Amino acid sequence: MTLSSKPLAVIVIVILFGGILLSSSLGVWSTETSKQAAAFTTGEFAGQANPADIRGSYSLADIEKNFGVSPEILVKAFGIQTENPAAFTIKELETVYADSPVEIGTSSVRLFVAFYRGLPFDLSSQIFLPKSAIDMLSDKPLSAEQKAYLETHVAGGISADASPSAVTTPLVQATKTPEPSSDRLIKGLTTFRDLLSWGLTSDAIEKVLGLPLPADLSVKVKDFATANNLSFETLKLGLQSAVDALK
Amino acid sequence: MINLFGRRLRIFRPRSIWVRRVGQFFFFALIALISINYTLSETGRGIPLLSNASLHALCPFGGVVTIYQYATSGTFVQKIHESAFILMIIGFFLAIVFGPVFCGWVCPLGTVQEWVSSLGRKIFKKRFNHFVPVKVDRVLRFTRYLVLAWVIYMTAATGTLIFSAYDPYFALFNFWTSEVAIGGVVILTLTLVLSLFVQRPWCKYACPYGAVLGISNLFRIFSIRRNVATCTQCSACTTMCPMNIAVDEKTVVRDHQCISCLECTSEAVCPVAKTVAFSTRGAK
Repeated sequence: MTLSSKPLAVIVIVILFGGILLSSSLGVWSTETSKQAAAFTTGEFAGQANPADIRGSYSLADIEKNFGVSPEILVKAFGIQTENPAAFTIKELETVYADSPVEIGTSSVRLFVAFYRGLPFDLSSQIFLPKSAIDMLSDKPLSAEQKAYLETHVAGGISADASPSAVTTPLVQATKTPEPSSDRLIKGLTTFRDLLSWGLTSDAIEKVLGLPLPADLSVKVKDFATANNLSFETLKLGLQSAVDALK
Repeated sequence: MINLFGRRLRIFRPRSIWVRRVGQFFFFALIALISINYTLSETGRGIPLLSNASLHALCPFGGVVTIYQYATSGTFVQKIHESAFILMIIGFFLAIVFGPVFCGWVCPLGTVQEWVSSLGRKIFKKRFNHFVPVKVDRVLRFTRYLVLAWVIYMTAATGTLIFSAYDPYFALFNFWTSEVAIGGVVILTLTLVLSLFVQRPWCKYACPYGAVLGISNLFRIFSIRRNVATCTQCSACTTMCPMNIAVDEKTVVRDHQCISCLECTSEAVCPVAKTVAFSTRGAK
């Protein structure tokens, strides 16, 4: 069978758009996320939405839907000036804070929401909050570690009523080098080799992971969680419990 | 070749596959308008009746890079959605039957390279598309598989769309937004400049999606086939091939770089009817 250009053009278009129409009619064609944050799968918070899954495409209304933190609270915390707070998307924060010497963006919202709602959150990354947001967290029941983190991760100068342009330099730039993993505390740098050297068995680790150990034991637990779309915070809690049980 | 007053004259028919050009323009305009609409929709405006999907949602290569994560955890890499996965499946189906027609007929980045190359052809004439030494070119043609391996590994290891920071296709349709990465703009600029000298430089040497689809050339159902009995060895097919494939030396083109553009066929540049055709095995 020989095919010339015109029938080929028709066939390509029919298959391409026909495939899209067919998948649409079957309800599987989707060009955007459901704006439904992934939930914690294990531990005390199992079933609750995980702030670590907040995306830049989420609007403040999406945050409220997932975490019950209203747009008004977020607008006040981040000094956002907008006529329609509910429609403001998280990725716009980077534009609002374009002049800030430290990044205030999606990660900042994740951190704020986690602390505001008392949910677990991985603190191994350097994430900064405006002072207005930290002020609003002052009456929350935070742990000593969380309070210490906030003290060293404030993008200084702005209060709850100030404009974002008032952001200058961070009051304290966190420069602390992560401690080695010898203290048997699971952090962002902890590798699977560390876990095994602390006495955890492969079976015990795989039980928490729900997956086989990676072939390369030098892989960080955090990277493994990211690559497998797992919550590092959840894995950390499970693995830390297993490590603590060895003592 | 024809005989005219006892002299053999080579008659080139500088025809091209016009329907392909129309299709390429259509897909370029469609993707450009959707990208503009995506930007407009973020400010509450938009073009009625037109999709405002993100470019990531409409790129079949997004489906390829998320295969590992989908297989291991049932989820997609960030910014990738079901639509990219479906487009990937459609692209694979088309490639198995017709070869990489997505590259030759649909991909807007390939189209833009061809537009720039038409200017390069006018400037450099016969030297155009022959600047790279054959030996070097032959090796460089496989670098796109290294790019493919790197992109798939890094995406699997990090769970993020690592390639978007270097993707010239994303840069082409997002250069006016804050989402575009400087790496993508640099590679896009380099690609367009090189297109003045070489036909489809990105496709030949770096495109990871072209690398995936190119494999289909080894087993596709419809192929470019040359009828040795009627071929006059005028080399018009080889001269015209944008991917520098020596069509006049083959009976069936199985080269991993063929993009099924049909420019070498008797419908376009081949001067002898039914000599170079796009057909299945055993076709008359």
